Amino acid sequence: MKRSFVSALALAAAFTLPAGATWWSPGDGTPFPARYDDADADGVTRILLDGGPMETKGHPFFEAKGKYGRACVTCHQPSDGMSLSAETARIRWQETGGKDPLFAAIDGANCPDLAQGERASHSLLLDYGLFRIARPWPPVDHDGQKIEPDFTLEVVRDPTGCNASKVWGLAAPDPQVSVFRRPRPVANFKYILAMGFAVDPKVGKPLPIDPETGKMVSGNLMADRRVLSLEAQMRDAAHSHMGFDALTADDINRIRDFEDRLFVARQHDRVGGDLDAMGARGGPETLARSEPGRLGSQGTAVFSEFAAWEKIPADAVITPEQRAYRESVARGARVFRERMFLITDSAGINSPVGFGNPVRNSCVFCHNMSQMGMDVAPGQVDLGTTTMPFADPQPHLPLFRITCKGPPHPHYGRVIHTHDPGYALTTGRCEDVGKITLQTLRGLTGRAPYFASGSARDLRAVIDYYDRRYNIGYTEQEKRDLVNLMGAL
Amino acid sequence: MRRMMTALLALLSFNSVAQAADAVRFISCPIYRDTDAGRKSGCWLAEERETGRRFDITQSATKPDWSMAVLVEGRIAEKQDNACGATVLEPVRVSVLPDQACTRAMIPAEGFPGRRFVLPPRNIRPIHAPDPAPPPSYTARLFLIPFDYGRDFVVYQQSDWMLVNAAAYARAAGGRVLVTGYAETEPLRVSGQSLSEPASLAKSRAEMARLWLVSLGVPADRVHLDWKPNPAPLADPAFDGLTETSRRRVDIRIEP
Repeated sequence: MKRSFVSALALAAAFTLPAGATWWSPGDGTPFPARYDDADADGVTRILLDGGPMETKGHPFFEAKGKYGRACVTCHQPSDGMSLSAETARIRWQETGGKDPLFAAIDGANCPDLAQGERASHSLLLDYGLFRIARPWPPVDHDGQKIEPDFTLEVVRDPTGCNASKVWGLAAPDPQVSVFRRPRPVANFKYILAMGFAVDPKVGKPLPIDPETGKMVSGNLMADRRVLSLEAQMRDAAHSHMGFDALTADDINRIRDFEDRLFVARQHDRVGGDLDAMGARGGPETLARSEPGRLGSQGTAVFSEFAAWEKIPADAVITPEQRAYRESVARGARVFRERMFLITDSAGINSPVGFGNPVRNSCVFCHNMSQMGMDVAPGQVDLGTTTMPFADPQPHLPLFRITCKGPPHPHYGRVIHTHDPGYALTTGRCEDVGKITLQTLRGLTGRAPYFASGSARDLRAVIDYYDRRYNIGYTEQEKRDLVNLMGAL
Repeated sequence: MRRMMTALLALLSFNSVAQAADAVRFISCPIYRDTDAGRKSGCWLAEERETGRRFDITQSATKPDWSMAVLVEGRIAEKQDNACGATVLEPVRVSVLPDQACTRAMIPAEGFPGRRFVLPPRNIRPIHAPDPAPPPSYTARLFLIPFDYGRDFVVYQQSDWMLVNAAAYARAAGGRVLVTGYAETEPLRVSGQSLSEPASLAKSRAEMARLWLVSLGVPADRVHLDWKPNPAPLADPAFDGLTETSRRRVDIRIEP
């Protein structure tokens, strides 16, 4: 196993390492440095551990717990921006012959009752970076009480067989819906947990209240917001992904301390150089020092960290390639904020709140938090990435038919076909089908593919999806600029 | 007796507004004019079928959905800017009618500029901004919260701001908080249609207001709920002079 903390002096050599070459196994005992640089072919992603280095020996984030032999770090790899890329999963498969705990049957396989050890049984993780997420059906609330959903759910297509499984499926003694999702990065929680306003305009209500503390919370955790606090997320992850139900208060406090101090962002580009050079403020240091939860339209414009590169002096001592890259990133930030298009038929945006359908706006309408580009309000929005007719073809995923029993969905009508009902699996409401919590947009390069269902294989595919979905009509240069911007985050 | 007088005065006011030549109320399918003056700058138009007049209804806090009919209630604005190519209604309230489907209609800007988005005065302050409590002395005060027709959804940058203000006053003043929800259950004739809200909407509006108050720090045991059908209309700044829309509201009476 290779493990490298790449210093600035070693960057050139490190560029030749394939992404995913640096694997952290549970129990390694490797100290986590105050500054961790992970190099890939295109540059460096930096993780800051604000407050200084930390011993990982015996630390609950890094030690295997539970019956699957995993630790938190198994699926939240520092070399992948504290998430996990599909490429890293493939490399790990090759290196271990599929024996790594990463491939545990419970969720690292397409279904636990498939023949383990065969690549085909783990194809969703290996090809798309997807883990199986089993949600109770019908949904349960935060007190474990069953929710009567206002829709029925049928399986139209089940390529993994898991939704039809008598043990793991909808007909099991404890019925479950299996959906498949990418792991979210464990970093930048200062922003994810930040509350900008006391209300969620999308649902016309105050922010949700954490039932454990009685306090308001941001509502921005997890793809389907099935938990409201980081502590609840830890317990959920320990139970479902590690087979461990005995996280102690001390474990939780230590994990929380570690996660609260983690900031990840791109730091260096192979062509463009340091992302905090010449007046730019890229990299994680800005994240660690900035105030979270601020609306870009009322304060620091989203991704204006690169504004200084809009007008690079003619006599600046940089190569033509560096100049072109930096100007492209700066243009990309402008396109992100200012290129208007019509947003249509997206629940959470066009309904139920009265923004209108359609409404003219740009990427920052939803990606509106300064520095982070996530949603200041709870970001449960349906962009169509998992739901027909907008979703790209994903024949490897299950397809569900949702039939609304009450009022029809405001945009899809009474019958909806979706690969992942998303937030509706938490609320039981038809109007929430397809809503997925917006993600953070930092440290993107190390964690392809993108979107919750891994449907965008790279950053260009993300831009192309939006271009199709909203008929934006980006020029080729605008697309390149946006890709360069996202790669610089 | 005083409440009866208030209602009577309000009714007189309501009638005078309803009969005013500049007041309009109609149901129609919305039209989106694709103007581009930056974010949220598209124009919303609607034609009053009875007269053939086309109105600019963009200034409503609630914007239309192009696949659903809208109930438009407003007054012809004194100042007409022709930004959208139709007669401006302001104030104006739009209620989306999800049961009445419309053919989607989008027309080009045709040279009309639209309007640059301006943050409306009724917007909630961020959490990080200073939040001074309302100053004493505290007396009994009534907060009126408007709702769109047929909904208990709290209107963004309108009713949400009013609820936040009511909660701030209730926290500072202490005492009892009486929440009364209303629904316009008496049939209303608009554009040849009969509109009426279910009585249950009065309760759900009251419960929604309570949720806001309690979530924003008003002790739950101080909040008392009631709901009633078909109230008399009230003239109050909360309704921007559109008194006829006040029958769809919640009253929050704070008694220190």
